[in-house]
Amino acid sequence: MTAQSVLIWAAFSLYTAATFAAFGYLFTKDPRASRAMLTMLGLGLVLHLAGFAAHVAAFWAYPENRFFLPLTSFFGALSYMALALASAFFVIEGRARLGILGAFVLPWAAGALGLAVIFASPETAPLSEPLRSYWLNFHPMLLMTAYAAFANAAGVAIAMLIQERQIKSRKPTELCYRLPSLDELDALNGRIIAWAYPLLLVGLAMGFVWSYDDWGRLWTNDTKIRLALVTAAVYGVFIWRRYVVGRRGRRNVYVSLLGFASVLLTFFGAELFGGRHSFMGGLR
Amino acid sequence: MKLVALSWSHRSSASVAREALAAVPVERVLAELRARGIKEAIAVSTCNRFEVYAAGRPGDAPSPEALIDALSELAGAGIAGEVDAREGLDAARHLFAVASGLDSLVVGETEILGQVKTAYETAKSAGMTGKRLNVLFQRALYVGKKTRTETGIAAGSASVPSVAVQLAETIFGRLEGRSALILGAGAMAELAAKHLAARGIGKLSVANRTWERGYALAARFGADAVRWEAFPEALALADVVIASTGAPSAVLTRALVEEASRRRGGRSLFLIDIAMPRDVEESVHKLDGVFLYRLEDLESIVAKNLASRAEAMAAARAIVEAKADEFDAWARSLSTGRELSFRHSGRSAR
Repeated sequence: MTAQSVLIWAAFSLYTAATFAAFGYLFTKDPRASRAMLTMLGLGLVLHLAGFAAHVAAFWAYPENRFFLPLTSFFGALSYMALALASAFFVIEGRARLGILGAFVLPWAAGALGLAVIFASPETAPLSEPLRSYWLNFHPMLLMTAYAAFANAAGVAIAMLIQERQIKSRKPTELCYRLPSLDELDALNGRIIAWAYPLLLVGLAMGFVWSYDDWGRLWTNDTKIRLALVTAAVYGVFIWRRYVVGRRGRRNVYVSLLGFASVLLTFFGAELFGGRHSFMGGLR
Repeated sequence: MKLVALSWSHRSSASVAREALAAVPVERVLAELRARGIKEAIAVSTCNRFEVYAAGRPGDAPSPEALIDALSELAGAGIAGEVDAREGLDAARHLFAVASGLDSLVVGETEILGQVKTAYETAKSAGMTGKRLNVLFQRALYVGKKTRTETGIAAGSASVPSVAVQLAETIFGRLEGRSALILGAGAMAELAAKHLAARGIGKLSVANRTWERGYALAARFGADAVRWEAFPEALALADVVIASTGAPSAVLTRALVEEASRRRGGRSLFLIDIAMPRDVEESVHKLDGVFLYRLEDLESIVAKNLASRAEAMAAARAIVEAKADEFDAWARSLSTGRELSFRHSGRSAR
């Protein structure tokens, strides 16, 4: 085992343990579980960061890869997204005392890193000639940051739907009093998406500019691009309804979850169709 | 050490005796006891109970009879027959149970803990506490907190208005900056207004079919009075609506609520119907973002909370027993010359 895989495995184990602690906190509201969750998550983040740095170092061992981010492999992309998601949770929810949402957000981080360590190959290879462009440090990075934020928002949305059900039932359980209020969850879901949406748009636009730069035309005949445009359209509908028309509540949250389903399809589904956007060094 | 506790509570005595005792200011009770040579005494006086705790060295300790004598002189002779007198370990156990809310009408209620604290501070500033009662009451406050945090005896709201407020908070979060509309001006409407005002609701409006009564209620709470004809307008602006009119049929129809909800852009609307016959059409609960709770829904939540508090009583009593035994061991150690010490987090005195 390389130092990198030891670090990433350790980070994955800590994220998984933090996820269990998060569920413990949700069901018992024992502050010790919350502290354990934040401690393990913080430690996991440090190890993950070190592991990611080791991956970057291995990637840069090829001189032609130097100073590009290793986001073109399945392993690198998943690892980066898990890192972004876990740190976003640590900063946003940890600071706003919304740690109770860990049970809804951390499974995505643990899951993404789990996919990376178990199924994806951490091998690095030299980048092909057309990818060696400064756009590579922006286009995928922005999109993956947006995807991590959308995963966070989807967790919040699920919490909101549970809370809504609890209150509609007229027989709320303890869980109802533990979760943040319906309005807070609704607002948080909206805010995270409103923050991530520009990243998605700019990331996509950069992809188009990049292809135009290289080929003198826009590249549109690719499954991943089309799915990404669908994702952008669905979240566009959400933002429009939420902030222009001013709609709130359950139905709009369904739209945001549809958006996240589209993110998953864009990220994983497009692999099935192949094309230039498929990740190199995919599965083990 | 000798410890005596006299208690007139809702469990043991008729309200006449309690009222007579409650009418005597605590300071006067303490002054009278001091005049009779009692050095350590604390009086706890609330709506539901009147209790006196007194302590002293084995030689010059107060007797229950002497205390009853003094209190009879202050409140009239009728009180003597209804007293519960406890001594030593029993007295300490009783105080710990009282502080924990185990002896309260509503199990686990927290007000009593504050009242015990006030009683202790009053006696302390009157110079009527010594080592024994200081330790006893500090332990009682500690036990009262411990039972509430470590068992479920104080979990969940125990009254209809507080459950309603708690539900409003699960929908909106903090109630500051939110607005409430009250339909009706009866006693229930007033109670609801009081609770919402106490939780810092941002804006309160009252609409009543008789303008004068609505206006009078609004004036008492610094609320806006709204003309009855205008309440559909106010509905679109309110987050919480409490309906308690005496109308013979529903005043909040589905059409009205649908229209208000549309104008609110789907922002949540919490409707509480405490009227009989009903003020709100049941079908509005099916609307997206509209939550209708009826009186019986709130009552069943209260009943569930009280049942789970009752289930937790055995665990709380176990803590009370253990802590009373610990106190008793300490009290006995005073006369041996080898005083034990307490550990707050530990299980027993050493």
